[in-house]
Amino acid sequence: MIILIGLNHKTAPLAVRERLFAGCEEAQDLLPEFLAIEGVAETLFLATCNRVEVIAVIEDNPETIAKLKTALMKKGGLTDDESACLYTYRDDEAIKHLFRVTASLDSLVMGETQILGQAKDAYRQALAQNATSVALNRLMHRAFRAAKRVRTETGIAANPVSVSFAAVELAKKIFGTLAGKKILIVGAGEMAELTGTHLVGNGAEEITVANRSGAQAAALAEKFHGRAVGLEALDDALSHADIVISSTGAPSYIITEDMLRQALRRRKNRLLFLIDIAMPRDIDPAAGDIENVYLYNIDNLQDIVDENVKMRRREALKAQKIVDEEVAQYSGWLKELEAVPTIVSLRTKAEKIVRAELEKAQSWMNGMGNGDKEKIEALVQGIVNKILHAPVAVMKEESAEFNSQDIVAAARQLFRLDE
Amino acid sequence: MNFENVELIFFALAFFLAALSAAGYLFSLLVKRVILAKISTWILAGAFLLLTAYLIAAAFNANGFTNLGPRALFAFYAWSASAVYLFLQFKTKTRLLGAFIGPLVLLFVIIAAGQEAGKAILPQGLQSWLATTHLALSIVGEILFVLASCAGAMFIMQNSLLKSGKFTSMSRLLPSLGDLDRINHLCLLWGFPLLSTGIIAGAFYAAFVWKNLWTYAPKVIWSFIAWVVYGVLLHQRLALGWKGFRMAALSCIVFLLLLLTYILVKLCFSSLHDFV
Repeated sequence: MIILIGLNHKTAPLAVRERLFAGCEEAQDLLPEFLAIEGVAETLFLATCNRVEVIAVIEDNPETIAKLKTALMKKGGLTDDESACLYTYRDDEAIKHLFRVTASLDSLVMGETQILGQAKDAYRQALAQNATSVALNRLMHRAFRAAKRVRTETGIAANPVSVSFAAVELAKKIFGTLAGKKILIVGAGEMAELTGTHLVGNGAEEITVANRSGAQAAALAEKFHGRAVGLEALDDALSHADIVISSTGAPSYIITEDMLRQALRRRKNRLLFLIDIAMPRDIDPAAGDIENVYLYNIDNLQDIVDENVKMRRREALKAQKIVDEEVAQYSGWLKELEAVPTIVSLRTKAEKIVRAELEKAQSWMNGMGNGDKEKIEALVQGIVNKILHAPVAVMKEESAEFNSQDIVAAARQLFRLDE
Repeated sequence: MNFENVELIFFALAFFLAALSAAGYLFSLLVKRVILAKISTWILAGAFLLLTAYLIAAAFNANGFTNLGPRALFAFYAWSASAVYLFLQFKTKTRLLGAFIGPLVLLFVIIAAGQEAGKAILPQGLQSWLATTHLALSIVGEILFVLASCAGAMFIMQNSLLKSGKFTSMSRLLPSLGDLDRINHLCLLWGFPLLSTGIIAGAFYAAFVWKNLWTYAPKVIWSFIAWVVYGVLLHQRLALGWKGFRMAALSCIVFLLLLLTYILVKLCFSSLHDFV
């Protein structure tokens, strides 16, 4: 059976996640240690700052599950109370959970794309340590496939859900391309810095930082390889910049409508994108009415983000359907891997061959007496049964041992049972 | 093989593809999916190629471009509209402009379908390369002005969406303000010299045929007004640095006024220059 034990940002506080994450990260022999537990056939583990998950193919045995859980708790030094944060999913539930994780439906920021890369890394590590086999290999490939389908068939990752990325998207809708666009940061807030970073990441060039305190401005400008100016140079800076991010602690407007009207004349009416993330506001709201000036405050940006979050939730419903489909497909395949159906289909196939061959032989056996015919039939049947005896016996033994997947998969391939 | 049939087949296929792409563009606007606009662009490219084939076949059947009939004339309108648009597609990724141009191309093809195929537009004796050049350049110039105005209209839409402080899916679908402004700029920049050359060719030709550079035919006056107005627009852009919303709004107003006067002229007057 497939089992998944883990915890995430929903079930465990940061302090617990941290400890477990660190414990798992440091342990080099984590996978061999899990594999050494009696009843564990294949395993893989995924640790990120938001989650730790162990997936394993195990013998259906409560003891094995308990041992696996204890081993995991030990890694993070979890107390019995804290172990309540751990969830345990079996079979279809486990598969579904994993698919939801890789498709980023279980993430803190739904639709983020990092988790898929982390899951791929985790799988690569497990492969390198030979910790996975038929069942988990296919499970992971299916999980990646489900994630890809979710990303391309739904709009779950389509629109930005952070204020700074929303600002980048707006900038693109205003200017078309950000290449060569100049940024002016007024004041030096963390948010302004983050937005500036994203804008530069999308092609914007040349950052100017204007601040009351020269030292702070210089420090931020240094980071962006830009230049620092005092607030008295704001008029001049406004006539050159294309995107202005303002976040000072000033009690009143530091960029007035009049300043902008004049700046626009100097800049020959080139489009100007203003982002006011200060509280109280830095830019006179009346400036938004000036032709070719596009003014957004923090509430506008937050509204855009909220709208996008809502959209992602709607898309998540579609994504869930895709995940369900993929889960059904995988678990169907897994069931086929069990020994009994394979033994049945192997016998059926042999039976069919015997029937067909005897049918063909009817023409020359016509001259024989009924007794001889029966003897020949018994002989043929006997040979076939003898040949099949060994593979069937091995499959039965292995499935009694709990790990028949490899051998069953091999049998299905050798005897071409899937064709 | 009968070439008149080949001509007809090319035209019919072009008609079909033009209709398909116009429908695709409008539908993409409705369901707000860019992929549909992308497909429509390829269909329009197909329509463009077929129109090219049709024009060549028609010229072959009429023994030369100077003898082309009214259907070919309107097909040429459709041809230049799609050519200019497809070229702009290369320069800027503004597929949704097709939602304006696609139906326009279709309109021209529909008008073309209603025209006679055979009879030459220009009366015998007026047929010449100079007249054909005059026509072709004027048409392409006018189409460029139409596109400048379409871009202007979309700019106004996008502008009001972005100014509202919200960011809707419509806003996502429409091209960026920067691209639309650039299209307006490019179209004025190329349209003006083309129309100028077209008008000069016409004047020279008139001097040859009527011994007069200028006639007071309504259409001539109208063309001259259009030329002056777009010249003024280009001047404001280049010399005074008018950009963005103001240019967009002016382009739209100018376009609507010219369209109105053109219709009035068509309805109320008849003149020497009537054959087109």
